Amino acid sequence: MAENKKYWRGISELENPELVQSLSEQEFPSNIPAEEFLGNQDNLESTHTSRRDFLKYMGFTTAAATLAACESPVYESLPYVVAPEEIIPGIANYYATSYYDGHDYASVLIKTREGRPIKVENNREAKMNGGANTRVHASVLNLYDATRLQNPMVKGESSDWASLDAGVKKGLLAAEAAGKQVVVLTSSVISPSQKALIKKFGESYSNFRHVSFDPMSYSNKLDAWKEVTGKRALGLYNFANAKAIVSVGADFLGNWVGQSVAGDYAKNRVPGEGMSRHFQFEAGLSLTGSNADKRHKVKAAEYGAVLVGLYNEIASAKGLATVSGSSVLKSEVKAAAQELLAAGKNGLVVCGGNSKANEHLCIAINQMLGNTEVTVSHKNRSYLRQGDDKAIQALITDMKAGNVGAVITHNLNPAYVLSGNADFKAGYAKVPTTVAVSMKSDETAKLSAFVAAENHYLESWGDFSPADMHYSLQQPTIKTLFSTRQFEDCLMSWSGMGGSYLDFIKSNWNAGILGSTDWTKVLHDGVFVKSSAVAEEMAADTEMEEGGISIDVAVSASDALATAKKAPSMELNFSQLTGMGVGTIANNPWLLEFPDPISRVSWDNYLSVAAADAAELGLKNWNESNGALNGSVVNLQVGSKTLENVPVFIQPGQTIGTACLAVGFGRDGAGEVADKVGVNAFQLMGMDHSAEVKISPVEGAEHKFACIQLAHTMMGRDIVKEVSLNTFLNEPAQNGHDGWNEPPIFNTYKGPLVGDDVNLWDDFDHETGHMWNMSIDLNLCNGCGACVIACHSENNVPVVGKDEMRKHRDMHWLRIDRYYSSDVTKENADELGYEGIGLLGKGATDMYADMEKPSESPEVFFQPVMCQHCNHAPCETVCPVAATTHSAEGLNHMTYNRCIGTRYCANNCPYKVRRFNWFQYHDNTMGMFKENYAMNEDLGRMVLNPDVTVRSRGVMEKCSMCIQRTQLGKLEAKKRGVALKDGDVQTACQSACDTGAIVFGDVNDKKSQVFNLKQDKRMYHLLGSVGTQPSVFYQVKVRNTTA
Amino acid sequence: MILAAPGRALAQDIEGDAANGKSIFNSQCAACHKLDKKVVGPALGDVTQRRSTEWLVSWIKDNAALRASGDADANAIFEEFNGLAMPAFPQLSDQDIKDVLAYTIEGNKPAEVVPGTETAPVEAEADNTVYLYILGVLLLFMVVLLARVKNTLKLVKGQPTTTMMEDANVFTRTALKNPRVVTVLTIFIAVVFFQQLYVNLMAVNVDAGYQPSQPIKFSHELHAGQNEIDCNYCHSGARKSKHSNIPSANVCMNCHMYVSEGPKYGTEEISKIYDAVGWDAEKGAYIEDYEQKPIKWVRIHKLPDLAYFNHSQHVTAGQIKCQTCHGPVEEMEEVYQYSDLTMGWCINCHRETKVQVESNDYYEEMHAKLKEKYGADAKVTVEMIGGLECGKCHY
Repeated sequence: MAENKKYWRGISELENPELVQSLSEQEFPSNIPAEEFLGNQDNLESTHTSRRDFLKYMGFTTAAATLAACESPVYESLPYVVAPEEIIPGIANYYATSYYDGHDYASVLIKTREGRPIKVENNREAKMNGGANTRVHASVLNLYDATRLQNPMVKGESSDWASLDAGVKKGLLAAEAAGKQVVVLTSSVISPSQKALIKKFGESYSNFRHVSFDPMSYSNKLDAWKEVTGKRALGLYNFANAKAIVSVGADFLGNWVGQSVAGDYAKNRVPGEGMSRHFQFEAGLSLTGSNADKRHKVKAAEYGAVLVGLYNEIASAKGLATVSGSSVLKSEVKAAAQELLAAGKNGLVVCGGNSKANEHLCIAINQMLGNTEVTVSHKNRSYLRQGDDKAIQALITDMKAGNVGAVITHNLNPAYVLSGNADFKAGYAKVPTTVAVSMKSDETAKLSAFVAAENHYLESWGDFSPADMHYSLQQPTIKTLFSTRQFEDCLMSWSGMGGSYLDFIKSNWNAGILGSTDWTKVLHDGVFVKSSAVAEEMAADTEMEEGGISIDVAVSASDALATAKKAPSMELNFSQLTGMGVGTIANNPWLLEFPDPISRVSWDNYLSVAAADAAELGLKNWNESNGALNGSVVNLQVGSKTLENVPVFIQPGQTIGTACLAVGFGRDGAGEVADKVGVNAFQLMGMDHSAEVKISPVEGAEHKFACIQLAHTMMGRDIVKEVSLNTFLNEPAQNGHDGWNEPPIFNTYKGPLVGDDVNLWDDFDHETGHMWNMSIDLNLCNGCGACVIACHSENNVPVVGKDEMRKHRDMHWLRIDRYYSSDVTKENADELGYEGIGLLGKGATDMYADMEKPSESPEVFFQPVMCQHCNHAPCETVCPVAATTHSAEGLNHMTYNRCIGTRYCANNCPYKVRRFNWFQYHDNTMGMFKENYAMNEDLGRMVLNPDVTVRSRGVMEKCSMCIQRTQLGKLEAKKRGVALKDGDVQTACQSACDTGAIVFGDVNDKKSQVFNLKQDKRMYHLLGSVGTQPSVFYQVKVRNTTA
Repeated sequence: MILAAPGRALAQDIEGDAANGKSIFNSQCAACHKLDKKVVGPALGDVTQRRSTEWLVSWIKDNAALRASGDADANAIFEEFNGLAMPAFPQLSDQDIKDVLAYTIEGNKPAEVVPGTETAPVEAEADNTVYLYILGVLLLFMVVLLARVKNTLKLVKGQPTTTMMEDANVFTRTALKNPRVVTVLTIFIAVVFFQQLYVNLMAVNVDAGYQPSQPIKFSHELHAGQNEIDCNYCHSGARKSKHSNIPSANVCMNCHMYVSEGPKYGTEEISKIYDAVGWDAEKGAYIEDYEQKPIKWVRIHKLPDLAYFNHSQHVTAGQIKCQTCHGPVEEMEEVYQYSDLTMGWCINCHRETKVQVESNDYYEEMHAKLKEKYGADAKVTVEMIGGLECGKCHY
């Protein structure tokens, strides 16, 4: 019995346990005579070192150390022996490439300096997914992750490629000889060449299968589309044409089917005639729901019922046959249906989840609207999701039955994403040859006999076809850092094909894709759309409209209603956080520290519950005296599966009877930073995106959150100004200003003046030269946070870790504040019965307290806030050492080497945008801030931007408006001897913003976009009443509502 | 005389200034010719013995024309060097060429070491100090003399004499008892002390004059001075980038593929480049699969990381000469840091330097407004366009 064994630390412990016991209790075996010595005056006096001597020694050593420090070190400077032609030290090169990790796809530009990739930029040439999300923007950091696999592994031991290749080949031959299956298991494969290669690889085996599986499966949705178009692929959505959008649980701005639609969606969100109207029906509060004009709470199980309602409303309006109805949110559904009918072919209905019936209904409604090829294309299909639930189930069954001889996994971590499926693990153990092609020693790699260390995407060649007609290329921007190989090279080696994958791609493209287009041009652009005639074809072809395909709507509707009827009393929805997705690049401290746009929590996932449910279950969130957030802890049970110690976050806007838990956390093997952060929701998840759950609170346990926003409402102040479209269009101007955007008026000796005209100071000359201004359109900002990561990466912002974040010591130069609306406003306080100071009932104090509470179904506001670059800056006047000063170009400069860290500036800043370096976050010799590997490891440091100083302990920092970019833009213009054009200088946040919410430029250039935006009637300054005259201004948010 | 070879007789005809010839030879010919050794072209030490002066003059001025005229010797040489044509030098006058020829004779004589010539300027400086010493001794002598005179006078008058030491003692004692003197003295000492302290502390980390020894004894005096190679030829980054890069060894090889021997160190230093890139000087070819070794230059100019400096801003946009900051590099055998590279030094230049507003369209609008503000004739300095703002260099 192993647990009864007793071990001795030595023979003495066995022989004399009492002595050893007594010794182990004392740190020092004999007493230290400190008392005797210090208590004895004579002894003290007879010592040789007097106090004066001590001071002398100390003085001498200090002086000696000072003198020794005066000598300058000798720096060596090593030029290239043979300089590469394309590299000029100090000048950045950009390469177009594509990102695909099995979940996110984007077409991007990579900025390299001296051969090191340091920044991801959006590829503006791209017609599809040119707007990268937070994950893609952060992906460059994963290249320099020291916890990447640095060489192949065989049976858990470091090995070399020769022995791995030999082992894998042997295994594959054995599988073939035994007549067993050889399986390549991947996520959706969108690369035409990779697909061809897998096919070619499979031809050598009589029993070969390629199985695709998406961690967030849309398999049933794909099946529905197959019945409609004959091809198992989702239609391509065109939000640029959508004037009425009804989303039933589809978080299309955040995480949905992989198509990036935020840019197109934003095109119709510019206020005015023709602004789109967006309805959202959903369970948990998503990024998309936050941006909707009308958001309605509904359980995920009832999505189908909402769709049936919509179908019936539209069918009856069109005089078509209806199906048996539903009674979920009747009036709300009717309002949405009317909007859709009014928009006609510019209407669009989308739905989330993994349900065939719902997708059928969705397609049927869209067809009734006649929007085929206008807002949703049946001819051009998206291939970003191809996973097949049935195929993976079959594979698991086969593996368990011992029919599978070899499994090669790539771009998928099945042991993690299927961790809720006990059969997978059992089956995988029965496969004789398991090969994981992976960048990490992750959950699957740990179970695999062979681990082929994979390249990062910035070290690889590749091609992609995310949708019909759309193609893009992936090219390496750096030589492989370690002994790694890309998946395709592995396949070519194992199949004995030889040659390089690049040649394979080229021949594949020359054969069927390129046509007359030049390969070099496509490589330069990164993207290629096959035919420009497609758009015309799309418009011309109306064959599929008006019931061209027969879907049995009645069956789907009854399925949907049956699901709704069975809606559980407590439903768990598996969601994705904006910063994590499904966790493909989890070990990324930028992403982990990124506060979720909705909850503003970083370094965690959590169970979001509605306030009413929380009260019923006795779950709480509370703040400590320093503002740090704590929460209750629960255990979850889904069927027979359990997940323990899940922290609870009370989420306004969460549908009662539902809870949300994000996947992608709770890793084991993703890397030092991500491991053990959060809980693994995949353990509870099946193929569906929601399930019935039993929540049981853990008594006495509490979870410490790192939530950086303390106030959740604006408490009656117009920090984010909002107006309805109706008012915006129709309300006349008052006092020369629109009533809904009245600037603060001050009474002065000159009479009443607008805030910006009140002046105590001598102004700078802002007419000569440039005057940089930034406009942030709150209507276009959807809170996605790509700008936050872009800023992080551009400006060498340190990562401080969960403990510091919890103390609100986040270092982000750019934050996106999120506010909820409150039920109580100053306007309706009287109606609600708040009277006087509240001696007899509810009074002003209660009103203000209640204004802090978000509504149960709040409207949500996002507001990016960075240094406002005030022209009357409160920070500048209080700095005792003039470390923060003003520039004639309208920027507030921060001189790090001058700063002595009094923090007066931060205290005097009304916007709270200044960040203080409480610790040495870089080169930390104490071994702290290991999570900040971009600054504490030699490898990680390669990602730093060499044009921006890394700040040291004890100095203040803040947004510089990317001054390195404005200076560079000016210099390039000077060198060429031309005037600076609008758009030549873009800040990092601006260039990362896919919706165009952020516009930066010179307001002294009267033709510039930012100049025009400054004259816009929606323009306002944040906290205008403070009179700081910021260089940053906002555009009032307009919601397309009638009220 | 009679026994002298005809060549000698030819040589004696040449009346030229060998000193001028040397400088022309170094700037025009040295890239391909040496006096004592065949390099790209033949050794020229005894050329006057081989050819007549007239022939040499017409060959040097335009060898192609000479060859075209059917001169047998000219065509033979052309063939001997595998059709590698020598460039024409029409800019050289007959006298210039004669000077060069005179140098080929003069320079080919066994080198005589002329001692003292190189140390001459050092002596000139030392002279000053010597004069000061002499002056000091003279003054001291006069003080003693005066004291003697005074004592003699006292003796004559019959007064008691005092020694100089006694006088000095009395003077010091009286002075130290006078509080005013003490105060003035204290203030003086304090001022000197603190001034010196300030000067010394301010000099911490100011490395002007820093002249480390480099792995290769590369002479800017020879390359930039005598050979007049443009700074930007090697430091090509200065015009385009923030860095003025140290040239990669392949840039050196553009010339040193042909020039394998220097005037001062012979092949010793140049072979270090060959060692870095893997060039076989014997075969005149690169060694295949050679593991190249970067040359570890010692960095002289280094600004702290907190200061952003961009060369192209100053060189291309500002049209500042390299020498403004780097000093007379073309005269430096070994480069040293010429300027302080302190912030005060930068700021001062930004206050005084005129911006190239006229020739650059970028400034057009700004210049118009500046003229309104400061008057049409005002000198637009870097300061006026925001060149003193903190954030322009610190970010």
